[in-house]
Amino acid sequence: MKLIQTYETGAGSSPWRLRKFVADYGVYIALAILLLAGALLTPKLYAVDTIAVVMRQASQLGIVAIGQTLILLVAGLDLSVSGVFIMTSVVMAEVGNGRDEMVIPAIATALALGGIVGLGNGWLVTKRRVPPFVATLGMLVLVKGATQAYTRGVPGGFVPEILGIVNRSWSFLSIPLILWLGLSAIFIFVLRGTAYGRRVYAVGSNIEAARLSGIPVDAIRISIYVLGSLFAVISGIVLTGYVLYVDRFIGSGLDLDSIAAAVVGGTAFTGGRGGLLGTIAGVLIIQILSTMVVLLGLDVEVQFIIKGLVILGAVTLYSVANADS
Amino acid sequence: MKRILQCILLVSLVFGLGALSLAQDDMAGGMSFEFTDEQIEASPYLQSVLSRLDETYDTSDFAKEGPYRIAFAAQGTSNAWSALMDAHAYWYVEHLGEEVVSEFMYGDAQRSADIQVPQVEDLLAQEPDAMILVPMGAAALSAPVERAMMQGVPVVLCASAVETDNFVTEVGTNLWTVGANLAQWIVDQLDGEGNVLVMVGVPGVTTSDVMEEGAQAVFDANPGINILDKQPGFWSTAEAKTIMETWLTQHGDNVDAIWSGGAQMSQGIISAYLDAGLDIPPIGGGEWQNGFLRLALEHDIDYLAWQYPNAMITLCIDAALQILAGEPIPRFIDFSGVIPNSEPFTDEQGAEYFREEWSDDVHGPITMPDEKLAELGFATMDDG
Repeated sequence: MKLIQTYETGAGSSPWRLRKFVADYGVYIALAILLLAGALLTPKLYAVDTIAVVMRQASQLGIVAIGQTLILLVAGLDLSVSGVFIMTSVVMAEVGNGRDEMVIPAIATALALGGIVGLGNGWLVTKRRVPPFVATLGMLVLVKGATQAYTRGVPGGFVPEILGIVNRSWSFLSIPLILWLGLSAIFIFVLRGTAYGRRVYAVGSNIEAARLSGIPVDAIRISIYVLGSLFAVISGIVLTGYVLYVDRFIGSGLDLDSIAAAVVGGTAFTGGRGGLLGTIAGVLIIQILSTMVVLLGLDVEVQFIIKGLVILGAVTLYSVANADS
Repeated sequence: MKRILQCILLVSLVFGLGALSLAQDDMAGGMSFEFTDEQIEASPYLQSVLSRLDETYDTSDFAKEGPYRIAFAAQGTSNAWSALMDAHAYWYVEHLGEEVVSEFMYGDAQRSADIQVPQVEDLLAQEPDAMILVPMGAAALSAPVERAMMQGVPVVLCASAVETDNFVTEVGTNLWTVGANLAQWIVDQLDGEGNVLVMVGVPGVTTSDVMEEGAQAVFDANPGINILDKQPGFWSTAEAKTIMETWLTQHGDNVDAIWSGGAQMSQGIISAYLDAGLDIPPIGGGEWQNGFLRLALEHDIDYLAWQYPNAMITLCIDAALQILAGEPIPRFIDFSGVIPNSEPFTDEQGAEYFREEWSDDVHGPITMPDEKLAELGFATMDDG
């Protein structure tokens, strides 16, 4: 006898449609509301110069948020990105040593090291079954410690001047922005239009089902962690070019902001749900909030409170909106 | 005739003293500062420092025969400033010899009060003769300092303060005055009128808060100064540049001067101006940091630099030795003027401080030999 169990989901009813609408488009509505508030409170936000600054600063967060979104999609998390930023900055100064011709070897070295970090994260999570939070936190401490042991607290060398090219802009269009939108477009296509992308969602939705379907689950997850670290390296390179100086606290805060941007953008902590378009909106929300705080002359504490409220609000909204799914 | 000569002599003496007083002002970069009663009343920090300036600690209870075991609870290798402080400490202990300091116990706080509190306990468990502490948090480190003193270990505070008054001495400078002097320089540059942006360090950190307090007191006393905005740059070049970029979109070339709580932030400020292609206004808040001086020289920036030399650790070690020798010691030791070239300076003297052979991270003045600096990777030595 075949037992068929049915569930009452309410699919198709008005409240269900509303919740689905919120789940699918909530972040864009929030962004529109924020832009409207910006128009009323700080019209300066719409000046070309301000848009250029917002977009350039958003790009630094946006690039690392691409990697974070991919990792969240396979139900992972990466706390090691801020260690990768510092490592990248040190490598750019140590290998580059102020010589423009050394910028390519410096970038290659940083990417190789970033790849190793991602590989380590992926191996710990998949092969050793270490929870992503613990594995990537351990990796963060390891990478920061190793960087510090190598530099003894003082990075030698100089960042090659040519890296300052990332500060070039044409109206509101800048190199980091082109990089962010270009990489986002590529990975939106990868996630939506390729077998690899579908496997990423499958692994994140139900890892056992994916395994039984013959998907190489471990390989997918490891590759995603490697990609996450590579995006952190790219963001680190952009940040280093931005200041042309090895700042030991470079990118501090971007690790958690990148998780926040992805979550606000609708990517679920539990994996398998979300995408990069939402993350782009999430990044813009976080960056516009930061800029508005300065434009309005508010205290920095207000920025943290508002950011916290936005994240909590988004998570609550999504949990309600996705309650039936 | 004799009366005329006496008159001439008297007039010469008056002019001479006047000239001398002007010269002293010049030597200090016009840095003299007089506190009002209201300012002192409003600032517990100022009250503490000013009262301790005239106090002496009787250290006879701590007197003992050497050689000594000294504990150093350091900020740690978290940035170039503190790495150089550690380097100065090790060099100086080596220079003094084992017959003076037989053991130098070190704790690396990684710039964190959370790490430093248990670390101080660990150092105390080794029963040192004295402890030198670079406090990472005024409130958090107060109890460990009290416990050390109760245990009979004299504590020398180095570069920062704690909330308790139960320690032997503090080596540093009056940070309130530093902040106030930077602000006063801006007021003087603008003839008392203009738009000023203020970039503070890290809210909640004593060094940052006290400097801001001093600056605010001066700006408040000059109604012609309009503070456009105040934001923290977290002593980070990248963070400072981000804030400055946004400020420039808001205020453009309407900014007449910038008060900055640190050279790393001033570098970010300059970088944002260079990207925007705008003229850089006077900056009250440089330091003897080679990278800042390089930028300032390249772009002919008007600035006033204050100093917080990591070499002050040598004075902290001297203070610990003085305590263990049982000699009375002042309760506040200002490094300014004691460590050579540690006075504030302006862009007019900047070229004299810049060192081509130093890396951008080096904070002067350096009192250890150049060879030591090169050995640590902070400088290149001329082969010749």
